[in-house]
Order: sequence, then C-alpha cells, then structure tokens
Amino acid sequence: MSDHPVAEENVERIREGHGANCSSIGSVIDTLFATATVGAAVFAAVLAALRTEAVHVAGTPRPARAKDDEAKRPEDA
Amino acid sequence: MIVRYEPWGAWVKLETQAAIVALDRDGVRALGLDGGDAWTGPPAPSAPIEVHMAVTSRCGAGCEGCYIDARPDGVEPPRDVLLRELDALRDAGVFTVAFGGGEPTTRDDLDVLAEEARARGITPVLTTSGLGLSDARLERLRPFAQVNVSYDGDAATYASVRGFDGAGAAERAIERMARAGIRVGVNVVLTRESFPHVAATLAKARSLGACEAQLLRYKPAGRAASLDYLARRLTPAQGAGLGPLLRDLSATLCAEGTFHVRIDCALVCFLSADAAIAADPARLERFGVFGCEAAGALAAFTVDGRVAPCSFARSTGLPATDVLSHAGDPELARWRAGIASPAEPCASCSLRPVCKGGCKVVSAHLDGVHGPDPECPRVLAWRKGAAA
Repeated sequence: MSDHPVAEENVERIREGHGANCSSIGSVIDTLFATATVGAAVFAAVLAALRTEAVHVAGTPRPARAKDDEAKRPEDA
Repeated sequence: MIVRYEPWGAWVKLETQAAIVALDRDGVRALGLDGGDAWTGPPAPSAPIEVHMAVTSRCGAGCEGCYIDARPDGVEPPRDVLLRELDALRDAGVFTVAFGGGEPTTRDDLDVLAEEARARGITPVLTTSGLGLSDARLERLRPFAQVNVSYDGDAATYASVRGFDGAGAAERAIERMARAGIRVGVNVVLTRESFPHVAATLAKARSLGACEAQLLRYKPAGRAASLDYLARRLTPAQGAGLGPLLRDLSATLCAEGTFHVRIDCALVCFLSADAAIAADPARLERFGVFGCEAAGALAAFTVDGRVAPCSFARSTGLPATDVLSHAGDPELARWRAGIASPAEPCASCSLRPVCKGGCKVVSAHLDGVHGPDPECPRVLAWRKGAAA
C-alpha cells in the first residue's frame, strides 16, 4: 500500500453483486434510484475493502495465504 | 482482491464483498501497484471480465424460446475439456464464469467444476430451470457464489414464455435453495405477456427467499429466432415504460437492501425513453451499468469450445482455450468496431457510453446488420421522424 489510500475519486465505477445469469450480462439497477445515503454507503464499503484486502495481481502466482482466503469464500458473506 | 491492469487503470474484484470495481491509475498506485506494460504499451482490447460457459447442450425442458436450441440428446463436454477452458479464463484474468447450457445441473461434476473455478480465482455462478432438482443436485450447487432460477411468473405467465408450466418447480427450487443457505436469484424473461406481471413475479420470488431478480429481454436467437419473435417481444409502450417500472420495483421491493433488481445488457436502450435517466448517464456508469458488452467485458464459450461475442451471437473460429488471443480475432474485432462507432441516432445519444447501441442480435435479426437497436424508443422515434 502507498501512503495515500484509495480515494472515492479514484473509483470510476462499481458493479455490485455476482449476476448469476448465463446468457446476458446484468447490472444492479435499484441503487440508481436509492437515496444518496445508500449510494454513499456502497462507495464507503468498497473503499474500506480496497484499503484492507490483500492484493493479488491477475496472471501472477497466487500466494499461499491468498489461496486460503479464497477457499474461505469471504465474498459469499 | 484480484487486480487486473487495464490501459485506463485496473479492474479489481473484491473478495470480502460481491463487487467489481474500476480504479483509475492513481487508485491503482494507491494500492502500491503499477500497471507496467498495460499502461505504457500500445492500447489493446481488454479481455472479458465475465464469461458465460455452456457446460452442456442437454436439456429436457423444451422451452419454446431456447437461445441455444438445447435438446434432451444434447452434448456434454468432458470435464478435462472444461478444465482447460477454465485455465484459459484464469490466464486471461476473467473474474466471473456463469455456467449454463442446456440444463447444467444434469452434469454429475458440477460441484467439481465450481471448485476448480474457485481454485483459479474465478467466481462461479449458475443458471438453472430448477426442474428435476434432486437432493443430490441441490448439494452440488453449494460451491457457487449464486444460483439463478429461470422464473418468469405464475403458471400461466411462465407457460406463455416457455410453452409449458414450470412455475411450481421453479418456486420449489428457489425455496429449497434459500432454505439450504444457497444464495439464489431469479431470471425473469420479459415478453409482452410477462411484462405486466413483473411486480407480482418479483414479489413472489422475494417471498420464497430469492435475493435478486435479473430482468432479461427476449432475444431472437436459437428457437426464438422466428416470426414468433415479433409476437413475443415487448411492445413499444412497454419498452418505453421500463424506466418507470424499475423505479416502482426499486421502491417497493428493494428499500430494505435485501433484494436487488438487475437488468440485462439488452434492456439498457429502453432507458433512453426515461428523461431523468437519460439526463444523467454518468450515474449509470458510476454504478457499473453495462449495455452491449459483446466482445468486450463479456464473452461466451459455446458447448463446442468456441468463443462467441455473447451467448446469443454466432461463435467465432477462436477456440475457447485460446481466449487470451481474443484481441487478434477478426470477428470479435468487427463487433468491437461496430460498437465503438455507432450510426445515428446512437452516435448522439446521451446513453451511448453505457448502452453501446443496444442489442446487436436484435438488430441483426430485424435489420440484417449490426446497427442501432430497432426496438429502442429513441431509434423508433428517429426512424418515424425520418419517414415523415
């Protein structure tokens, strides 16, 4: 991590959820119509995760600890 | 988190919550990373972030509008073939794989495939009809991050879309999965028959334990690529009414934050009729709404192991195991070029950066070309004006 954590202006877009359809790509739409408070909470939660999760770069070998983390499926929480 | 460098920054898949995030270069640097060649080399098309993988073309449901014309005697690729395809997805940095078919739960090794996807850092999800969901098949769904059940409404509505009544089986599947602790959503196909019942359909799904509903446009592919398509597609009034409908659904079903509504890529063009949405396309972008991402953020692997721009499009000659070479495939490049340089009225549409011209499968079916979506309210108005 650098001395300057990821800021909200660095987040260009957030795609929420897993989207389990197998034929066309979907996007959560209800957040668009929610209050500003809900929208802000979505960004706040993402920023918190960006500041705390271990980093793995796609296409590189995954460290052992990250493999363990993946096995726990925290994304399902 | 898993970071995949892009010319503009990086896509990031979070692991403590279900979200994919686009970070600009400064944001990536804030993670202590540098994009290297992805930032300094010549710009190249991005690999897909989501791939739809047909793991079988076997299905006994016989839905009238099946987009791959699945049949009871369909083919089931051997597991080792699919594992090599998962290797290719990992090497390309794909984040999500959606297993489909055919009816994927007919495979005895579905749980193994899901675990193999996870071992490669890929989030596995699944679509099923819910028909024939035995206890053994239900158990095989546990490794999936989410399972969506095809559920178009009550008995009559379901039958109007698929040609038979599978509503009860779908409802039982939703309820059983939810009780078993499997994250379950529903896919709801919008036809002119099912559209008026959407609110009731989603309310029922939510009451059964579904956490999400994805609304799908009916598309002319497979068995649906017939004259019958014209009688089943949304009416112009229904298409123009999608924005207000979504507002109502969000207010009545999603306020507690435990249930979400998604729309598919092909429905985004209908939002051009909603003045408030069309006036603020940046909001759609910021919340990650995707229009046509065929050959872009999305790709499909056909049951015979080829890459297609999306599940409804014809496959290219590119082997699925060679998806890392996607940038050099001429057919995928043709799709990307068409989406990047749309004709009017898409060229001047405020939603163009998100919508990307609507569904090319629909335009190819109705107009014979990959042009502006002929069912988009803005395109309809444009053509009406040109004809006057």
